[in-house]
Amino acid sequence: MKARTLELGLLVLATLVTAVGFVTVGLSETADSPDVTFDLQGEVGGFLAVVVALLLAAHVVIRLFAPLADGMLFPCAALLNGLGYVMISRLDQGLADSQSAWTFIGIGAFCTVLLVVGSPRKLEQYRYTLAIVGVGLLLLPLVPGLGVEINGARIWLRVGPFSIQPGEFAKVVLAAFLAGYLVDKREVLTLTETRFAGLHLPAIRHFGPLLAAWGIALMVMIAQRDLGSSLLFFTLFVVMFYVATNRAAYVLIGMTMFSIGAVVAWRTFSHVQRRVDIWLNPFEDPKGAGFQIVEAAFALADGGVTGTGLSQGTPKKIPYAATDMVFAAFGEELGLLGATGLLVTFMFFVASGFRVATNARSPFEKLLAAGLTSLLGFQAFIIIGGILRVLPLTGVTLPFVSYGGSSLIANYVILALLVRISHNSMVQAVEEAEELKRTAGSLTVSSRTQAGWTAV
Amino acid sequence: MNKPLRHVMAVLLACFTILFIQLNRIQVFGAEALIENSANTRTIQRNFDRDRGLISTIDGVVVAESLDTPGEVFSQQRSYPHGSLYAHSVGYLSFNFGAEGVERTYNAPLTGTTPTQELTDLTNILTGTDQVGNVVLSIDHRMQERARAELGERSGSVVALDPSTGAIRAFWSFPSFDPNRLAVNDGSVANEAWTELLEAEGNPLRAAMYRDRYFPGSTFKVITAASGLENGLITAEQPVFEESDGYVAPLTDRPLTNFAGATCGGNLTELLVESCNTGFGELAAEILGPERLTDTAQNFGFNVSPPFDLADPVVSEFPSDYGSLINNDVPAGVYENTPLLAQAGIGQFDVQASPLEMALVAAAVANGGQLPTPHVVERVENSVTLQTIDDVNPGSWQRAMSGDTAQTLAELMVQAVERGTGRAAIVPGVVVGGKTGTAQLGTDPPQSHAWFIAFAGRPGEAADLAIAVLVEANENAGNQTGGGVAAPIARAMIEQYYQSFGE
Repeated sequence: MKARTLELGLLVLATLVTAVGFVTVGLSETADSPDVTFDLQGEVGGFLAVVVALLLAAHVVIRLFAPLADGMLFPCAALLNGLGYVMISRLDQGLADSQSAWTFIGIGAFCTVLLVVGSPRKLEQYRYTLAIVGVGLLLLPLVPGLGVEINGARIWLRVGPFSIQPGEFAKVVLAAFLAGYLVDKREVLTLTETRFAGLHLPAIRHFGPLLAAWGIALMVMIAQRDLGSSLLFFTLFVVMFYVATNRAAYVLIGMTMFSIGAVVAWRTFSHVQRRVDIWLNPFEDPKGAGFQIVEAAFALADGGVTGTGLSQGTPKKIPYAATDMVFAAFGEELGLLGATGLLVTFMFFVASGFRVATNARSPFEKLLAAGLTSLLGFQAFIIIGGILRVLPLTGVTLPFVSYGGSSLIANYVILALLVRISHNSMVQAVEEAEELKRTAGSLTVSSRTQAGWTAV
Repeated sequence: MNKPLRHVMAVLLACFTILFIQLNRIQVFGAEALIENSANTRTIQRNFDRDRGLISTIDGVVVAESLDTPGEVFSQQRSYPHGSLYAHSVGYLSFNFGAEGVERTYNAPLTGTTPTQELTDLTNILTGTDQVGNVVLSIDHRMQERARAELGERSGSVVALDPSTGAIRAFWSFPSFDPNRLAVNDGSVANEAWTELLEAEGNPLRAAMYRDRYFPGSTFKVITAASGLENGLITAEQPVFEESDGYVAPLTDRPLTNFAGATCGGNLTELLVESCNTGFGELAAEILGPERLTDTAQNFGFNVSPPFDLADPVVSEFPSDYGSLINNDVPAGVYENTPLLAQAGIGQFDVQASPLEMALVAAAVANGGQLPTPHVVERVENSVTLQTIDDVNPGSWQRAMSGDTAQTLAELMVQAVERGTGRAAIVPGVVVGGKTGTAQLGTDPPQSHAWFIAFAGRPGEAADLAIAVLVEANENAGNQTGGGVAAPIARAMIEQYYQSFGE
């Protein structure tokens, strides 16, 4: 099947799933309170029109400007975004209204990036600018008067009525920097110049700028008490280093550094200690420290295999149900089946992202695609794992699903870059194939004449 | 770079697999433990936010409804328009203190969550909890109000029920309490009310009519008489017990006396009509013996938990152990504790019965010997279509005695009202049978429980009503008698029944 036909079919499916969710939420709202006048046909009609218009617009833009791109990525994102919106509207209509605006802007950003960034390879040459921009974005909330502290993390900018999380964009920019830097230094990084504890290591000077950018970024995130982002950024760094050099030693070093860092952080910061304590013994203080994680577990237990049904559970009891904890709300109302559906959608997205990376022609694009996919995949793992007590709970959004403008827009930018890289590599592959065909064509002709001649 | 790429992808997919496994551990294998965790308030809260049907009396008076409480912790709150009148039957629904009464035992039909309701009402699944169950009590509001008015400020109980179906028509105990105080959404207000009620005089929270036991006194003579008749040892006419003012049982020299030192005797008819202690003491101790009387008491529902649609009814007790056989000086044999058996035969010693149980005793007499299964709920209706979805008809409980014995006893009880201790219960145009009881608790100051159990019906027709009235002992009331204090209340209830349920 052609990629665009697949994409269109999957988009129809995603639209249907979202619409059914929307109708269910609407129906039970009218059933619960007769005062709410809910014009079902009008509401659903309007909602469907907006969803179809948005998805169709993006689909047309892909058809026009990246026709050979992968057909799975965008429908996965659309489904996650749609389901997220339905759950947010069930939890808090006010947030849902903002989220629909963010979705608009997000898909706008997606189309813009797809149009403007014709060749991501060009980003490679701006790598140091990217490093400065990335770190700058991270530092912005620390500027007095600009940044505000919400829920104990100073990662927000107040701009008029909006709160912006520049860190969400910093992650994308820093991933591009890492890709550029690592491609440039890849060869020297694989050279063995020193030996340390039985490992073959390149000279320390090659690490300089890298360690500086990374160290600053990490320290800033820790200072802002944004543990989830620190963990994510660290993972991104290790993954990209490993992909660039194919050296398991770096993973080993990374793990060691992480362990040391984690122990130091645990000893130094009381809030890190608290997170770990809650992770290990959430039921010690179920009404206090462990409240969030314990309520999430109760919600999941209530959901069971099939869930309570949309709008039939009580996910409002979970703190931050619309943002960080949205996965628990899905687990409650859609059950194991619905939650697994989300996991599978993320797996499809991640697999498609890595396929894009595998097929990418230039090392920079390959590394960037791998980095961006890992960013999204590990972010989903960190927050879901936190909710399910696989990891200590650290606050990050569930990509495309959680409420949050910055996160949604940044994720659509990531999506646009992946789609762009995918299309470009297919174009190159087609060109190379045609090149091959041209050379092979002459060969075929000659062999056919040969064969004919033999027959005669 | 494709090889490390594959590794990273494998690691990420493994991570997601771990999430899937953990999700199963929480949602499937660990769910039960989490749901039962003491910190989990979801089940209670769900119950609270769920739509809940109305509870009304059989004559259509709403006695429990849900009011919307916008902006409060819970979206609605249970309201009881008649305050304390139904506190012991309808009960309450409280976040802090759970549910009691019909609110407790009929929680599933009220919230529309019985399997039948969920199956037959498929639209529920799609649109939510629109259709729930309305509960219709068998209690008649006018009879219930009458019971409250007749008992007034005296501690006691009034139980009136249909002897053939067990449908309860009035179910009142004083003191009672206002369930609205426990049903409020504000937990601290409810806590305060609870503490106050726990310390209140007379324990108003206790549903005395089915959760408390009292000496049944002479009302128990109906069972002693039934035992004699049932075992073929006596008839209404024979034998004739000696006129006496004190029965001295074997192994003791303390006489069992009659009320107010009276002298009485004669055949079973005379004994029952005059409520003669000396004769019944002798019947129990010398003719029946421990085994027969215990058997009959158990057939009447003593020592067994009664089937009832309200939770935790108390077990009425009849002591069965009277020691070993000493000699055969009397037909029933003399046991170590034969003197106590004489007392048990007149409803003293350790005999304890709930007012509900004694109403069932009267019902068995009026119902051909069959104990009905008592119930306060008549039916459950669909809240939207008002169609009956559950016709509560639990049928009979167990056989207390043969039809012949019941017939004989009924005639004796009618005589006890017409010319004996129960004359205060006479209602013109209605056949009333009854038995008084005056269970003396002490002499300093003198005080006694006043009992009356009765049945009533149209001449030549099956009985319509069985009643137990108990006015609890009170220092200030002195030696109040069943005939003087309790029988008039029973008469009022009978009159009210025929006013409520027509001619």
